[in-house]
Amino acid sequence: MDLLTSLKISSSGLTANKKRMAAITSNIANAQTTRTAEGGPYQPKEVVFGSEPAKESFSEILSGEMGENAQTVIAKEVSNSKKPPVLKYEPNHPDANAEGYVAYPNINTMEEMANMIEASRAYEANINAMNTAKSMALKDLEIGKN
Amino acid sequence: MNIDDKTTRALAASLKYRQMRQELIASNIANAETPGYKAKKLDFEDALARALDTDEQQTLKTTDSKHFNVGGGGFNNLQPEIYEESNGIVSPDGNTVDRDQEMADMAENKIMYDASIQLLNKKLGLMKYTVGSDR
Repeated sequence: MDLLTSLKISSSGLTANKKRMAAITSNIANAQTTRTAEGGPYQPKEVVFGSEPAKESFSEILSGEMGENAQTVIAKEVSNSKKPPVLKYEPNHPDANAEGYVAYPNINTMEEMANMIEASRAYEANINAMNTAKSMALKDLEIGKN
Repeated sequence: MNIDDKTTRALAASLKYRQMRQELIASNIANAETPGYKAKKLDFEDALARALDTDEQQTLKTTDSKHFNVGGGGFNNLQPEIYEESNGIVSPDGNTVDRDQEMADMAENKIMYDASIQLLNKKLGLMKYTVGSDR
């Protein structure tokens, strides 16, 4: 049924944006972390989105008129950002190197906040789409009920 | 009065394609930030108008069972069109989804869907009245 596929697509959007939110909060929390289990400063996380056909099996794609047009979204990878760490001169810091520089993660808190607002708006939009599909499905049940 | 007449079939087709449109809009909104994703639209109004043949201009009259059905072709071969939106905003990563536009389309689609259901209910109510239902 088409409306249930709509719900599935919207819920994929919610999941993807939740993962993105997790990466953003992790980045903000660790903006000053200079020591990690892997060694060195914290590596900023970045989420990459990708799309996938909403219908899984070949027969579903073949029988449906939509084909591969309706696509779910997936948070493809949570990768470490390639930004190099920022060096600050703090000779008394315990993590300072031989020259007295400390490597801090290259995180712009403002940028992360902006990304957070965007993720939150995207989440709301998906919720909205989900509610619409839901009320359409409920409206279906009213056919012939008068 | 026939339960499977033009009105009912048109309304049923409209419900079906509005559900498909909802699916596409959900897909566009979910993928509003997927790099390279192209916004998709569904156009069925023209096909439905052709099938209904409201002005009786587009279908050739068939007076014999051996005649080909040319033109509108009725409801059985409705061909809605799914196309990629090409005049939208293109972001640097190649995404063409305009989320506000999608939300507006979704609201419109929902209202028209509810309207179709209401019309269908009126039609069924009329039938119930004719057969003398006591409800």
